[in-house]
Amino acid sequence: MAEAGAQGLIYDIQRFSVHDGPGIRTTVFFKGCPLRCRWCQNPESLRPRPEIAFLADRCHESGDCLASCPLGAIAPGQERILRDRCDGCGQCLDACDWGALQSVGRFWTARVLAAEIARDEPFFRSSGGGATLSGGEPTFQLPFALELTRELRDRGIGVGLQTCGAFSWESFAPLLPLLDFVFFDLKHLDSEEHRRLTGSDNAALRDNARRLAASGARVTFRMPVVPGLNDGAESLAAVAGFLRELERPRLHLLAYHAMGEAKLARMGFPIPPLGLDFDHDQAVRCLEAAREILQHHGIEVTS
Amino acid sequence: MTSPTPLPSRLFALDRAIRSAKPGLCAERALSVTRYFKGQNGERPMAIQKAEALCAILREKTVRIWPGELLVGNFTCHRVGGGLYPELHGVAMLEDLLAMDSRQINPLQVQPGDRRRLLAEVLPYWTTRMLAVRGRPVLEAARFVADQLSPTLSLINESGGISHFVPDYARLLAGGTDGIRAQAAERLEQVPKGSPEAAFLEAVRIACDGLDAFAERYRAEALRLAEQETDRIRAAELNRIAEVCARVPRHGARSFHEALQSMLFAQIALNLESLDNAVSPGRIDQLLWRYYEEALASGRLDQAGALELLGCFALKLCEIIPAFSRRLTRFHGGLFNGQVVVVGGLDRHGEDATNEVSYLCLELMDQLRTRQPNWHARLSKKSPERYRTRIAQALAKGAVSPALYNDEVIVPVVRSRSDSDSDARDYATVGCVEPVVAGKSFWSTDAALFNLPLCLELALNEGRRFGSRKRIGAATRPLESCQSIGEVIELFRVQLERAVDRLLLDLHAIEEQNLRWHPTPLTSALLDGCLASARDASAGGATYNGSGVQGVGAVEVGDSLAALEAVVFRDRKATLAQVVEACRGDFAKDPALRARLRAAPKFGNDDEFADRHVAGVMRLFSSALARGHSARGGSYQAGYYSVTAHQAFGEEVGALPSERAAKTPFSSGLTPASGCDRKGPTAALLSQAHLPLSEARNGINFNLQLAPWAVKGEPGTLWLRALVDGGFDAGCMQLQVNVLDPKLLIEARDNPGKFPGILVRVSGYSAYFDDLSPAIKQEIIDRTLHDAGIA
Repeated sequence: MAEAGAQGLIYDIQRFSVHDGPGIRTTVFFKGCPLRCRWCQNPESLRPRPEIAFLADRCHESGDCLASCPLGAIAPGQERILRDRCDGCGQCLDACDWGALQSVGRFWTARVLAAEIARDEPFFRSSGGGATLSGGEPTFQLPFALELTRELRDRGIGVGLQTCGAFSWESFAPLLPLLDFVFFDLKHLDSEEHRRLTGSDNAALRDNARRLAASGARVTFRMPVVPGLNDGAESLAAVAGFLRELERPRLHLLAYHAMGEAKLARMGFPIPPLGLDFDHDQAVRCLEAAREILQHHGIEVTS
Repeated sequence: MTSPTPLPSRLFALDRAIRSAKPGLCAERALSVTRYFKGQNGERPMAIQKAEALCAILREKTVRIWPGELLVGNFTCHRVGGGLYPELHGVAMLEDLLAMDSRQINPLQVQPGDRRRLLAEVLPYWTTRMLAVRGRPVLEAARFVADQLSPTLSLINESGGISHFVPDYARLLAGGTDGIRAQAAERLEQVPKGSPEAAFLEAVRIACDGLDAFAERYRAEALRLAEQETDRIRAAELNRIAEVCARVPRHGARSFHEALQSMLFAQIALNLESLDNAVSPGRIDQLLWRYYEEALASGRLDQAGALELLGCFALKLCEIIPAFSRRLTRFHGGLFNGQVVVVGGLDRHGEDATNEVSYLCLELMDQLRTRQPNWHARLSKKSPERYRTRIAQALAKGAVSPALYNDEVIVPVVRSRSDSDSDARDYATVGCVEPVVAGKSFWSTDAALFNLPLCLELALNEGRRFGSRKRIGAATRPLESCQSIGEVIELFRVQLERAVDRLLLDLHAIEEQNLRWHPTPLTSALLDGCLASARDASAGGATYNGSGVQGVGAVEVGDSLAALEAVVFRDRKATLAQVVEACRGDFAKDPALRARLRAAPKFGNDDEFADRHVAGVMRLFSSALARGHSARGGSYQAGYYSVTAHQAFGEEVGALPSERAAKTPFSSGLTPASGCDRKGPTAALLSQAHLPLSEARNGINFNLQLAPWAVKGEPGTLWLRALVDGGFDAGCMQLQVNVLDPKLLIEARDNPGKFPGILVRVSGYSAYFDDLSPAIKQEIIDRTLHDAGIA
């Protein structure tokens, strides 16, 4: 997407992230993703352009926003933003007293973003932490990800990557040696199912997983356990087989959370709702069931 | 290396006895002092009278040795109790004497006979003689008392005596009272007969004699009990206690046991002499280290034995509580005495001073979790791994103590007020958070509390409080006429300086009265410089003098200025007049404007836009204070801890441009306003580091409230350690960690008495949750809910 020296589109910077790699980290969320996983936790991360989120629960129906859009992309009603007209310029934000309109996605140069991340450098140093690139899909803006990683490493800040694996290996190769670790998220091993669940084929992903494992890089494979979608005995067995084949028989499981569903309306439904009616306890039970199956197939499971 | 050492069971038994005791009001001190002064004609020097009064107190008070005790001495006649200081502020304390045992918060048992005698004998005598009204015209005295009974702009704690020092216990342990008497006698030969200096030195001798006689009473009691004792082991313990009491404090201490007992006797006498507030034992690991090493080497004591004695000392400090009236409890809630005990940090030569006694203290903090002492840990770049990790372990488990102090910031701050690097490195903290040179400073660190946001309210409203026509501040021009945030700040400065001037005037008067009416010879004997200068500490005899005034609500003022700058001058979304009107109406008609103000940058997010305004408020307050000088010599220094005054002062102040509602609490010390630290703990800590902490010479408190998940398990301990190390590396001065489960707190709020042991960090000190007022309880619950991501 982005040219070298160009700007990167980032939608969130989260400090004191302690579950995204070792130590205290700052996680940078890249905007734009080639996949459309039906359970996506961060639907605001999907479209590779700045957007406006509409938080209906904050709206006081003052009507102040309606006239503020130069493109006429704001209309009364629950959706409020006419997505096909909105270019995400953000001129409307200022019109709302209540903060019901929020900008999602801001362009940064690698240098400025690295400086922002470096604010927590004392804590990276004291904890062995650093920066984690997440998203969205960081490799969807590979040149920027590479430039940012170089900037951070120049400042002595270690960098980790969370990826779905949907990248071209040739473009990715220069980034790999600069990374302290990679979190690689698997979804489903079956091509057809993968396409059904994420909207995209998984041949390249599997290929990249293989190459990454063979490269000797520090890779952690992870997988969300989405009840009824990818936790069947057969598909888990396939995952187990794949990891054994890579000689990386370890998997980190993530419990399903309906958090993403709540955010869909704000973003004008970039994906349709999944409609899974699972509370946290049920999701954790599904995760435990999956753990048992995977362990039975010789996989060491963490969560 | 860091697995917890189990505590001796004796400590838990003593702890249970103390926790289950109903706190009582002790009339003994008040009656002794009153009887003594009624018998004086006022012609003899006050120093001598005060020394004799102390002797009378120590001679007449109840002596009790409780079952299982190894260290002996009673602050009051109750197991847990508070005394009265009628000559200082005690008459004001007696305000709710009739209701003290039935009041909701911090009830104190009062024996019916005591109540009658206090009302008949004590009250009438001191009403016209207590410190707050001495030497003032009647109307002026009445104005001052009325001001102090319902403080809005400031509260002068010094009108209740001074205290707040770290005694020179090293001197006591080395030479005993014998050593002090010898020095006093030597100086006596050098000063003119009949001079105030001679009277002071004579008073020192009398006070030392009184302290020795006090120990003798315990020796006799221990022997008496030993004779009756049927259990041979306990009888042996009692005989041992008698031997120790025969030796100290008169002579230098020879053993770990004698050292602790000597300090305890002095600790009790100092509390009874001066004021029962913030007599702080100081760097206990440095004082005891040589005794511990020697005891272990000679085989006279093992680690468990030392831990047991140390624990007995800590528990003894829990037996005294302040007998505050309801009014004062609003400002000083939580039955807190401010007896700080410090571990770790640099030694006088700049090397790490952590030793095995430091680790024993950490065990007590982790496992015993008592309200007192107020445990503090110093950290420097040289602090060892084991020490850092042990502290993080204890805090991650919810220990609340220790509060953490950064030598890299504080040593230079103390250096700026002292004569040598080695004195600066030998600082200890007092009361809540205040650094002093141990054993050498009389810095009256808690002289007064000052309401900063009220000055902003006055600036917004031409010198009046919202809803009042009476002008209590300067007649500044209407806020609407300001063209920039700089001009708004200028109005605040004018109001601030006027209010500070008024405070310093009152404070000066009180200092003069302390000097004249409340000399403290024993305190002075245990402060370096007083014997050499032959002058009482209250007259500036100590090596280092000064005074500390706390700015409460600096964060709210800073956030308000940031909000005005952002909303009015940067975004032009409202006019100053509109913001003032919204504040005047407590935002009832302007919820939209309030939302704008809420969204403005706030302190605690590593955002220079807001942080620089809090910094600016601190600079203005320091400069305002710097224009005065204490009557003892030395300057007024700014501190930023609030005890519970952030709550009480908050109730006096209307809505603020920060969007804080009228009458709600400010944040504690320099903690970000509740719910306003939106970027997590690292950003909050960096915001602290951005402040001009070298101007906060009287110390700060900063609560780092963490959700339980953030400190869970082994990784949680590492994160916590990394937060502390990173924050201190970045330049933070102080932090205190509170890990709380909001559910438990809500249950404790709804069922008082069900969880008596929940200790929380209030502001520079710890208190049992049950002992707090409903408003403070709610504040802590709100803070916790926010941090747990629930609200």
